[in-house]
Amino acid sequence: MPHYTELNIGPVHPSIHGIFNFKLILNEEIIQDVKVTLGFLHRNAEKLSELNLYADNIIFFDRMNYIDAMNMELCYLMSVEKITGIEPPERAQWIRMIMVELNRLAARLVGMGSLGLDLGMLTPFFHAFKEREKIQRIFTEASGGRQEVNYFSIGGVYQDFTEKIINDIRNFIDQFKKNLEDMYNMFIHSEIFWQRNQGIGIIEPELAFDYGVTGPAIRASGIPYDVRKDAPYLFYDKVNFDIPISHQKDNFGRFMIKVEEMRQSIRIIEQSLDKINDGPFFNPQGKKSLMLRIKGNGEAFSRVESDAGEFGVYVKGDNTTKPYRVHARSPGLRNLSLLPVISKGLMIADFIAVVGGLDPVVGEVDR
Amino acid sequence: MVATIKEIKIPKKPIPIIGSLETMYNVGRFMFKKPITTQYPEEKGEIPERFRFRIFLSPESCIGCTLCEQICPNHSIKMEVWEVEKEQGLVVETKRGARENLQNKRHIYPDVNFGTCTVCRNCEEICPTNAIYLTHQFEDARTRNSFTYSPQELARQEDDVIK
Amino acid sequence: MNLLFKLHQWFSFLGNYASYGIAYLIETIVVLAFVAISFIILIYVFRKYMARIQLRIGPNRVGKFGLLQLIADALKLMGKESILPKGRDDMAYKIAPIITMMSIMVSFIIIPYGGLYYFGNLTTTHSDITLILIFGILSIMPIGEVLGGISTRSNYAILGTLRGIAKDVSFEVPMLISVLAIVMVSSRSFVTGGSTYNSLSLAGIVTNEIIPYGIIEPLGLIVFFISMIARASYSPFDLSESDSELISGSTTEYGGMRFGLFYIGLFGMVYLGSFLVSLLYLGGYNGPVSSYFGFIFLLIKVIILVLIAFLIWLSLPRMRIDRFVQFGWKYLLPLAVINLIYAGFFVLYIR
Ligand code: SF4
Ligand code: SF4
Repeated sequence: MPHYTELNIGPVHPSIHGIFNFKLILNEEIIQDVKVTLGFLHRNAEKLSELNLYADNIIFFDRMNYIDAMNMELCYLMSVEKITGIEPPERAQWIRMIMVELNRLAARLVGMGSLGLDLGMLTPFFHAFKEREKIQRIFTEASGGRQEVNYFSIGGVYQDFTEKIINDIRNFIDQFKKNLEDMYNMFIHSEIFWQRNQGIGIIEPELAFDYGVTGPAIRASGIPYDVRKDAPYLFYDKVNFDIPISHQKDNFGRFMIKVEEMRQSIRIIEQSLDKINDGPFFNPQGKKSLMLRIKGNGEAFSRVESDAGEFGVYVKGDNTTKPYRVHARSPGLRNLSLLPVISKGLMIADFIAVVGGLDPVVGEVDR
Repeated sequence: MVATIKEIKIPKKPIPIIGSLETMYNVGRFMFKKPITTQYPEEKGEIPERFRFRIFLSPESCIGCTLCEQICPNHSIKMEVWEVEKEQGLVVETKRGARENLQNKRHIYPDVNFGTCTVCRNCEEICPTNAIYLTHQFEDARTRNSFTYSPQELARQEDDVIK
Repeated sequence: MNLLFKLHQWFSFLGNYASYGIAYLIETIVVLAFVAISFIILIYVFRKYMARIQLRIGPNRVGKFGLLQLIADALKLMGKESILPKGRDDMAYKIAPIITMMSIMVSFIIIPYGGLYYFGNLTTTHSDITLILIFGILSIMPIGEVLGGISTRSNYAILGTLRGIAKDVSFEVPMLISVLAIVMVSSRSFVTGGSTYNSLSLAGIVTNEIIPYGIIEPLGLIVFFISMIARASYSPFDLSESDSELISGSTTEYGGMRFGLFYIGLFGMVYLGSFLVSLLYLGGYNGPVSSYFGFIFLLIKVIILVLIAFLIWLSLPRMRIDRFVQFGWKYLLPLAVINLIYAGFFVLYIR
């Protein structure tokens, strides 16, 4: 007759990314069952969006996946632009694409650094955040906001790119390539890092389909599913980049995918910087002084590849200035719901590593 | 020009001990790099030009149109009656001299609650007369119950606002 | 001439026994003061070192270059309300940090420090079996951790303690076997080829250690160094603490100065481990030139080892507990035994 121990991980715990609660049922150190409790950070974002103007809701989406704010804004705006019929001009699209990829880099850096911290490596975290701070400096130059940027607006972007910003991005990219490899080397040469990640948290492809897992998690299971390739938005069909996949299925594969995607993001940014053209940066129909009058009719769903996976937003308008219904499909929720299945038989230390590898952001899981 | 699918190369597994030594070298060589910290109160880093925080109001140009109240996503702005000309010591300069602001017939001015303001800059964008605007100033820590700035306080510099 | 006899001579007007007593007392106090001051410097150096590797500045507000930061921290810890968990085992809870701290402090009195120019030999304990003494005292230290963990009845603390016990069991056997190899090698003199005395005392081992034993038996050095990391329980092997999994492991429920004692115990063990490695394997206070400055040579070796230890702490991830137990029994133990056999052959033939 085994003896079970209950151990609470969270809501407040050093290695939980945000606030949620796992109740681990343990037999000695082996996990028998996991009970996930969500909802500690529920902020009513979907309902609030129904009560506010189309242009105002951007800030609620900023705060969903707060480390990947640009992608959240972009997804919402793509839906809104479909139902209001305000198309962004070409330059705005390129600007959006650069910003989104920069933010993907920033979000991946957070995930990488905190994975190191979860495993007990103290140093890579600070190097990752040093780089992230440079990205946020660029965001501040462009939009005035550091993390919750509120940069995109309906039919374009809020402020134009200046020559200085483009130079800043180029300089950043130039030095980032080297720093990324430095950080990567801090992880990959250590055999303990391999031990801690290889064969841990295996997601079989069928399981991934069943649970609707997306993002690096599904690509590490060998399925080349990426919204940027399968349903290109912005100008993702005009640039060259690779979708990395791996058949490792485990936490290590996820880490490798994330690092490789950062390299691909750099490629995308470089190509976009070369291709960006002159022209208007917003559609006059959506200019800021008309914010109070933008009306939407019909319904639309759009999706983007965010940091954790496929993020989708559904918006329905009833010909008023406020949306009738807004719904967000969060990838983090799907990835988290898989946890009880894949973590049976793992040890506590592995469990922490798996949660760190899936990097859920609670703002988006709970909305 | 479409995305191509690429199977990633898994690097060679490190040799025990040697791998750890390599990691130690990779980490330890940052020992002599310059630190990146900014010692905040003494040295303030350069603030980007578009950075925005503290909201100011120029009462002489506000026309009381309440657009900023309507656009604010968090309902941080409330309109408040402020009889400027009756207040002592605060003279409103308009083009026609120091006198009542004729444009603002109802004498209503915005009152901002910084506790809920998310610095989205919508109010600045929509204001037809640029009466409400955000500035670089960001050092305005307050205690819990004193986040609300009345129009009088919005028009003053931070040091003059007594809380 | 050593310091003890010098002190004894100064106090000789008190009679033989009283002057010996006072001389011992004064020397012990001097050694403990040296150890306390070096703890403060050690923690300061660790924080600065960690900061510089992580591209930060580190403590620089209290005092010049933040030198007084640690004293400020200690005052803060003392001023804190000490929160006692409900349902604790009171006696065990309160005595645990003291046990950990005391065992570290006592071990420092046993270590031979070598000579320093005018003062002569600084060693306090003149015994023939200091090697056995010091490992005996070191095995008291885990008792503090175990008591502290189990007495609080917190799940995190109990899991941390169990990990700690599993860790201790799996590395102490290889550690002692590698020490045994040292005793074997040092029981024959390099010079005369005859058997030596005092091979069970640290001072005797260092005297016989004309070539550092780390060169003669590198395997033993590796095993012993890894064991010392595990004993001090920092990063690759900080299993009883595991801050990202079990909050703070066996010390989860401790606060205030009681936690401070555990914290100082951790750094003390890093320091003590470096002393032991340099005494047993790196020649101790033997240096390339005269032995007048033996203490300085010892300190230099210790400082280098401490810096290496900190670098390991900062760069490697934590091992999983089952991996560590496997590592201990499947790799460390065979390595230690191979080293022992090799030492036997060395003593018999190669010398
Ligand atoms: S900047 Fe603040 S006050 Fe102005 S609209 Fe945005 S939230 Fe409201
Ligand atoms: S501040 Fe501007 S938007 Fe607000 S009431 Fe005055 S004029 Fe209108």
